[in-house]
Amino acid sequence: MATRWHDMHQLFGALDLFRNQMNSLLQNVDQTYTTERGWGIRDGFPRTNLSDTGDNLELFAEVPGINKEQLHVKIQGNYLEISGSRPADSPEGYTLHRNERVVSSFSRSFTLPYEVDATQVTATLNDGLLKIVLPKSEAAKPRQVTIS
Amino acid sequence: MSEREIIARGEQSGERVDQLPAVVPAVDIFENENEILLHVDLPGVQKDDISINIDNGKLALSAARYLPTAGAQAWREIADVQFRRTFAVPQSIDLNNVRAELKNGVLSLHLRKSEAAGPRQIEITTS
Repeated sequence: MATRWHDMHQLFGALDLFRNQMNSLLQNVDQTYTTERGWGIRDGFPRTNLSDTGDNLELFAEVPGINKEQLHVKIQGNYLEISGSRPADSPEGYTLHRNERVVSSFSRSFTLPYEVDATQVTATLNDGLLKIVLPKSEAAKPRQVTIS
Repeated sequence: MSEREIIARGEQSGERVDQLPAVVPAVDIFENENEILLHVDLPGVQKDDISINIDNGKLALSAARYLPTAGAQAWREIADVQFRRTFAVPQSIDLNNVRAELKNGVLSLHLRKSEAAGPRQIEITTS
């Protein structure tokens, strides 16, 4: 029964991905110039990608204008939380003409599809993109089975 | 244009960015007596993928973002995009003195005002 549930979960995951791709496809058909912003802190959290490379899970998050000191990553089992705050970077002595870049703090948590080894997790911040590599725990790793 | 020219055009690698969906980056615009300063959010963009063209009073900013991908996607909220936005530049800007820097995915564009931009009195001479 447990495997059945897992199959169902995977199926829905795949459908979800398909729906997302269809959405972005449809959006691009008649909109060459979308009003969508480059990043989505206005929803209260940064947007992310998650991919599975076999031994690791890799998560990317958009965090422009945030230093590593202002970002916090917390892991427990298969629970991941990214929180942080974006400071105001208005320079002194300037008048403001337009302000679209939101200053706020955020927190986003995820339930990862696998348990991860919290001690081996690495996070790097480059060009406003946070990359977190989460090695799966031993039990969740794919294993080669030798046929006797 | 001959057929050969068309083929040659298609082979230019620089035209690849046009296939990416265009999005409008969020921008803050500041001004003081010396310059106009723009802060643009460009998360995940490399320095070499940004182009800034100033022509005919228009500043066109274009930046392509290619995300590193590996493995099977579990979910996907961010995609390879081209950030594109055009601004009207006032005549008082010294176009030879524009400075741009990229830090933490935020582009700072310093547009210096030219010295001669202040109001000027023109004397009338009689011949």
